[in-house]
Amino acid sequence: MTFQLDLSVADLLLLLPEIFLTLWLCLLLSLDFSLKRMTHQQLAYLSIVGLAVTGLILLGFDQAGTTGALFKNMFVLDQMGIFFKLIIVGATALILFMSIEYVQDFRFFRGEYYVMVVMSALGMMFMASSNDLLSVFVTLEFSTFGFYVLVAYLRDDQRSSEAGLKFFILGVFAAGLLAYGISLVYGETGTLIFSEMTGTAGSYGLAIGYILIFAALGFKIGAVPFHAWIPDTYQGAPTPVTAFLSIAPKAAALAILIRMFYVSLASFKPMWVLLFVVASIFSMTYGNIVAIAQKNIKRLLAYSGIAQIGNIMIGLAAGTKQGSDAIMFFLLTYLFANLGAFAVIIAVSRVMKSDEIEDYSGLNRRSPFLAAAMLLFLLSLAGVPPLAGFIGKIYLFIAAMKEELYTLLIFGLINIVISMYYYLIVVKKMYINEPTDPSPILASMPIKIAVYVGIAGTVLLGVYPGPFIDWAVSASLMFSNIAGPTAAASLLPGG
Amino acid sequence: MGEYSLLIILFAPFFGAIALMFVPRQEALLVRMTAAISAGISLLASFYIFLAYDTAKGGFQFVQRYVWSEELGIAFYLGVDGIGGPLVFASAILLFAGIFVSWHIKDRTKEFYMFLLILAAATIGVFMSLDLFFLYFFYEMSVLPMYLLLGLWGSHTKGYLGMTDPEGRKLRDSIGFIFNFGSNSKEYAAMKLVLFLSAGAVVALMGILLIYHLSGLHTFDIVVLREQAHFSDTVATVIWMLIFFGFASIAPIWPLHSWSPVGHAAAPAATSMLHAGVLMKLGHFSIIRVAFEILPDTTREWMWVAAVLCVFSIIYGGLVSYFAKDTKYVIGYSSSSHMGYIFLGMAALSYISLSGAVIYMFAHALATSMLFAMAGWVYDQTHSRDIPSLGGLVEKMPFIAGAFIVACMASIGMPGTINFIAEVMIIVGSWDTYPFQVVVAVLGIVLTLAYMFKMMRGLFYGRLDPEYAHADDARHWVDRMPLILLIVCSITLGIFPGHFYEVVRSTVEPMVDRINHMAPLITQNTQGLLP
Repeated sequence: MTFQLDLSVADLLLLLPEIFLTLWLCLLLSLDFSLKRMTHQQLAYLSIVGLAVTGLILLGFDQAGTTGALFKNMFVLDQMGIFFKLIIVGATALILFMSIEYVQDFRFFRGEYYVMVVMSALGMMFMASSNDLLSVFVTLEFSTFGFYVLVAYLRDDQRSSEAGLKFFILGVFAAGLLAYGISLVYGETGTLIFSEMTGTAGSYGLAIGYILIFAALGFKIGAVPFHAWIPDTYQGAPTPVTAFLSIAPKAAALAILIRMFYVSLASFKPMWVLLFVVASIFSMTYGNIVAIAQKNIKRLLAYSGIAQIGNIMIGLAAGTKQGSDAIMFFLLTYLFANLGAFAVIIAVSRVMKSDEIEDYSGLNRRSPFLAAAMLLFLLSLAGVPPLAGFIGKIYLFIAAMKEELYTLLIFGLINIVISMYYYLIVVKKMYINEPTDPSPILASMPIKIAVYVGIAGTVLLGVYPGPFIDWAVSASLMFSNIAGPTAAASLLPGG
Repeated sequence: MGEYSLLIILFAPFFGAIALMFVPRQEALLVRMTAAISAGISLLASFYIFLAYDTAKGGFQFVQRYVWSEELGIAFYLGVDGIGGPLVFASAILLFAGIFVSWHIKDRTKEFYMFLLILAAATIGVFMSLDLFFLYFFYEMSVLPMYLLLGLWGSHTKGYLGMTDPEGRKLRDSIGFIFNFGSNSKEYAAMKLVLFLSAGAVVALMGILLIYHLSGLHTFDIVVLREQAHFSDTVATVIWMLIFFGFASIAPIWPLHSWSPVGHAAAPAATSMLHAGVLMKLGHFSIIRVAFEILPDTTREWMWVAAVLCVFSIIYGGLVSYFAKDTKYVIGYSSSSHMGYIFLGMAALSYISLSGAVIYMFAHALATSMLFAMAGWVYDQTHSRDIPSLGGLVEKMPFIAGAFIVACMASIGMPGTINFIAEVMIIVGSWDTYPFQVVVAVLGIVLTLAYMFKMMRGLFYGRLDPEYAHADDARHWVDRMPLILLIVCSITLGIFPGHFYEVVRSTVEPMVDRINHMAPLITQNTQGLLP
């Protein structure tokens, strides 16, 4: 296979958001080095401007319907890719708002922090567009590299270093699994590009290869049984990084999962549906039950995140176009609620200097605004109407119902009730318990912006989801002819 | 204007809650006035729909339909029939009264009214939803504010573990104690309530999703589903069971009742009023709206389940009320007991019994909320709900005592109150089908008489403990107005039930015909309602 790059400038246009962000990244880095007078806040706002421009370009692509594939289908820009990239860019911008105050406490490398965040975002944008296994591997490593650094950023803090080490070791292990899986799949199919694998016959090598790839991606999204790193890493990492970890890599990895399973494994659907049903049930149940026992709010959200990934996998288990629409819509709702919740956590921990749930006692008396915001975010995560999370969950359930996955639905519904319990425990602390120290908690302006965006998104997606649902629907039009469960192929020979 | 009245009723409290966000919390009077005005608008508009409901035409009226999501088959579809209309009216009355009853709440007044308005608006939303999705949406939305209302402004319960019968033996609500780990705190009550109701809600949600998918229509539109949805027998039975027990948990039918008295006891007065008055009726209403409309055949086949369980509700609730010492437990268990009458009326499936059940929902809302309002007043004045230690309060609070007697009479079903009409209709209408249950129901009325008199005597007559010498009557109009409003409504409708009965009848008769196969499947006037 020879590689000929016959690219025109017009083709490169498809890469414009990534190219722009790369150049902007270089600009940020050089400004940080050269301009001594430049404060880290200015750098942060400059990064946000860069992300905003990237977002605008992506929106322009979305409006104009620009799509196409580059580098022999390794990089594909389609509506779905644009959707995921917008989620990643939006999440990154919000993370930067949340970071500004937090970075103040770093003693060194304040400027580099923003560069690392934007670089990870860039890697994840490539992930959302990767269309073959090689680019999956490269972009996954590219984005994770930034996170290895970011998680351990508080280098004097033992927990942060521990988190970094755990994340690194398990991350590298996952990368190894991914590489091994890719090599098996390549050996069986002779190709790396998703769309060319559709017709291949099943074999043990292929099955093992895909299971290994699923394990590596399951590590990224934190699905049971690949979740072990999540609680410690979430707890130890700097809170804005935790927030970043909780949404952006999951979105990017989901883009890959959807592409891989919906396109290259379409003919083996009955088999991977089972895989996702099992993973989803275990993730939801494990995440929700263990979350009940948590005393630390970041760990609570870590386990709640595992449960939410279980919810998201309901959509993958449905394996239909509606399933992927529901996943995309759910990610939007999760983005606002989860990032909003982390913004409140940052604001509170600035004053309390810790993240225990006990610290939230009487938050309503100390800061009615933050308490009300946290209430909205937690209830949205719990799936209470009229908030976004409710619509997201119902959408996933409808997708699963249309595929008649009754067992999965029953577990999903039971888990709603279980999750209600631990979210309400936090609500109880905030509203019912009296504060030990009644001094007010004030949030800085950038944090407030993140909280306001979170509230706006959570409420808007809850009461007026129509346009967003339509957006999700049109973003995955390419799956409208996804193979039904009638496809008789088996991933295993003779099975 | 008229056609938008449902939107006004529904959104006035919501906008009131939003407006309250911008009212500074120091301005307590402004906060209360904002809440009162938004509730007042809602009350006026609901009074209008109650009067203007066209009984000759029947069916769903004041219909509003906006497509919400084409992809999922959801429309924001509002409309009331002769069952929803009166219940919307009852909710608006109780909300308005509740705002005045809680006029003296000092702690976080703003939040209290916000949550109260959201609770009431969500309840109203259920009563007017013609889309299963929105029915569930508002249903679930009404549960959550209860957690905060109970947890923040509620009160701990002391007397629960110490219920004794006349011979001094300790009694326990055994069913209630399955999930009660000896805790009597308001937080426990609030959590129990929310988890219980959410569990019921997701069971019902499973049923709703099954209807959505297995009908093959992929729509949540009740009007379309009731005409076109057909299920095989087994499937219909499964769905019916999910819907019935899911929604019956809020009704609450025995043995799913244990959250309710605990919740009532912990809740502040206005919340108990809304909770016992209308929130519990969401269960019956949703069963009627979903099971009776969409699964008429299965309803005819399986409604005996309700007739069996209602016996336990009536007797069990009545006995616990008789032995309970805490005023709010007495009223709470009496509510659970009285919910059995509604189930009996629904199970008998005759014109008169089902109309009686609907009227009873309304009547019970008024009567029980009066009782809760006054139990709340007594508690505020004396900080006690323990009946044996109270007594002689009639000297201190003649107005409250008088109103309390009227409320007790209404609850018992004295002629002249709307409760009387409802009870008689249920008893007469159910005699043919369920004579045994009717005998039990009549015994239940005797039991009601006994515990109401016992509570009345315990609170207001006998020796006044000097500890409560500072207790005061409701003197200000703000305190008297809600009670007078409720009493006037109850007695006016009790004496002139004509229009009310016509409204209910116009919907109930076609519905019963349809369930009993005495009419063609399309019975109501649905012209212009199908999309």
